[in-house]
Amino acid sequence: MEEESDSRKINNSFLRDHNYATEADIISTVEFNSTGELLATGDKGGRVVVFQREQESKNQPHRRGEYNVYSTFQSHEPEFDYLKSLEIEEKINKIRWLPQQNAAYFLLSTNDKTVKLWKISERDKRPEGYNLKDEDGRIRDPATITTLRVPVLRPMDLMVEAAPRRVFSNAHTYHINSISVNSDYETFMSTDDLRINLWNLEITNRSFNIVDIKPTNMEELTEVITAAEFHPHHCNTFVYSSSKGSIRLCDMRAAALCDNHSKFFEEPEDPSNRSFFSEIISSISDVKFSHSGRYLMTRDYLTVKVWDLNMESKPLETYQVHDYLRSKLCSLYENDCIFDKFECVWNGSDSVIMTGSYNNFFRMFDRNTKRDVTLEASRENSKPRAILKPRKVCVGGKRRKDEISVDSLDFSKKILHTAWHPSENIIAVAATNNLYIFQDKVN
Amino acid sequence: MVAKGQKRKLHREDEGRGAAWESQLQSVLDISMDKFHRDQALVEPSLLRSVLINNTLRQVQSEVRAQVESLSAVKILTKSQTHSGSEPDFPRGPPPSEHNAPLFSLNAENMEDDFMAWTSEEDFSLSSAISVILKDLDTVIDAGGQGPCAPQRAPLGSVENLTGDARLVQSSSRAEKMSDMMPSIKMEAACPGCPQDVSLDKLLLDIDTSVFEPEVNLLQGLSDDLVKYLPSLSKSPSASSSSSLDSHGQATWEIQEIEHVMDILMRTYPQS
Repeated sequence: MEEESDSRKINNSFLRDHNYATEADIISTVEFNSTGELLATGDKGGRVVVFQREQESKNQPHRRGEYNVYSTFQSHEPEFDYLKSLEIEEKINKIRWLPQQNAAYFLLSTNDKTVKLWKISERDKRPEGYNLKDEDGRIRDPATITTLRVPVLRPMDLMVEAAPRRVFSNAHTYHINSISVNSDYETFMSTDDLRINLWNLEITNRSFNIVDIKPTNMEELTEVITAAEFHPHHCNTFVYSSSKGSIRLCDMRAAALCDNHSKFFEEPEDPSNRSFFSEIISSISDVKFSHSGRYLMTRDYLTVKVWDLNMESKPLETYQVHDYLRSKLCSLYENDCIFDKFECVWNGSDSVIMTGSYNNFFRMFDRNTKRDVTLEASRENSKPRAILKPRKVCVGGKRRKDEISVDSLDFSKKILHTAWHPSENIIAVAATNNLYIFQDKVN
Repeated sequence: MVAKGQKRKLHREDEGRGAAWESQLQSVLDISMDKFHRDQALVEPSLLRSVLINNTLRQVQSEVRAQVESLSAVKILTKSQTHSGSEPDFPRGPPPSEHNAPLFSLNAENMEDDFMAWTSEEDFSLSSAISVILKDLDTVIDAGGQGPCAPQRAPLGSVENLTGDARLVQSSSRAEKMSDMMPSIKMEAACPGCPQDVSLDKLLLDIDTSVFEPEVNLLQGLSDDLVKYLPSLSKSPSASSSSSLDSHGQATWEIQEIEHVMDILMRTYPQS
């Protein structure tokens, strides 16, 4: 140990500090594909990394399919908007997979301004034995060619290629916060702060505006769109959430421009909880339909709410994620944590919901048993294949062993992005620049 | 130092308002203004963030206004007569770069003086808290302006002294400065008694800010409108010797005039 520290002192300009995380590596989105075979992550540097689950082998039954890197590609590059003298960040805001229709995989990835459709395909055969050119590609001297040979496909090492197939750009004045693929598999929508546009996956030079909440006088702007999603089964229905804590459900059959909602979900404010920050903490950061399509889940700063699509007046269930922060809202406002946008996810059967918190904690709520658990995603506290220990935050004075007090929480370690496998109990949790994958214990 | 008494219960509408609430009001205001300024400095602030901060500022503004109104409603009867006309002397001279910040700081100062005159023993803590808030707004407004911020009363004085063409020229350059200062004027909505709301001018992406660059040609055309209003502005807060409520109302009225001028300017530049 002594030697190491000495050599660090001498060579500290050359040695990389392992605790330093490059900002470009911060994971900004996580998404399983529809079968759960692939897991995609996007980061702040515009890269997409796709993991693939390895086939379960009979030889090592205890090693259930683990995820290994399948493909890495640079999806978006930083751009410069010359008209406004603004730099467009390459950070990937969202990734959405398309359902698989052939051997290739397709995903949509977006930054603040541009959506791209990527095709990820495998190549495991290579043509060999060309007549007219050498193995390395050089054209042969025609004088030396005496026979006719047809190239033959020979197996090669697996190569995964990612190629951009469509680029959907120049449709958004404001920053794109969501994309959602329609159940018709032909269209998708992209949402920015004030508008929602509908695209056809095949057509990149035209999109249709379906929601526009921009006021004529921008001074009157008091509400923005924060997230939107298509219904999983009804291709005419979608919802969008706002910064004032309301959700609007729209039907595209009713009108071309869906400024008038079909349903309006909002919980009346609790007067006893009113504070200066009531509006900020009511701003919805994520909205997700359940797999069944019957329920809607929304995440605001302190709670997760489950709504029944048939009841607009109030949510069906409300879960407190970290209510101990309610008394700290002023300092959280000061250090900007109150603006953090947490996401939320359903499990495959819609019985459990999960969302992130601070200190690398994430929470799961079982809707049936009403039980909840807090877990931590950190290297120090979990060895590979060890069972995660439930964590607890203590609010009052007396702190029990293993509990952590509110004041010791690390607010720089936030879990904003999580994903749940569509059918199994496998979850992916992004903690800053690290990705954790947890699986259910196998007996 | 929370005093209890019959008077307090009369004008205190809701429970739980006390020193703690005020200190939170103060800190929310401070933090919000700080964030507002920082976002102004950014090339492209997040729209969601701007809207949320803006709405919080509006809420604070209305709370402070409600507080001011409840105070003034009670205190109009117990107003102290010792409040002397404490307006500062108007140094006559050429107008400096800061035209409008002084106007608002003057008004704030007037109201602050009024508050100090109103203080009775038991409400001292409340009104001193309010005056602290106003002082802070004062410093914020001054600090938010461009360039050195010596409180100059000269602009109003010099305008009222000018005649004819000089006034015309004066008004157009004043309009230039006004359009420059437009964002900071609108920011001063947090000042109690200001009916104007905080605007998102600078924060909004699709407003071409070059529209607000001073262009004397365009503004010359407006100068007529401005001249109409400038005489009313020149009825300066020298009326501070009148009743406190009047000067308070007058400050509001003057601010409304500025707002009206701003509306004219805004209408000239259609927003996309």
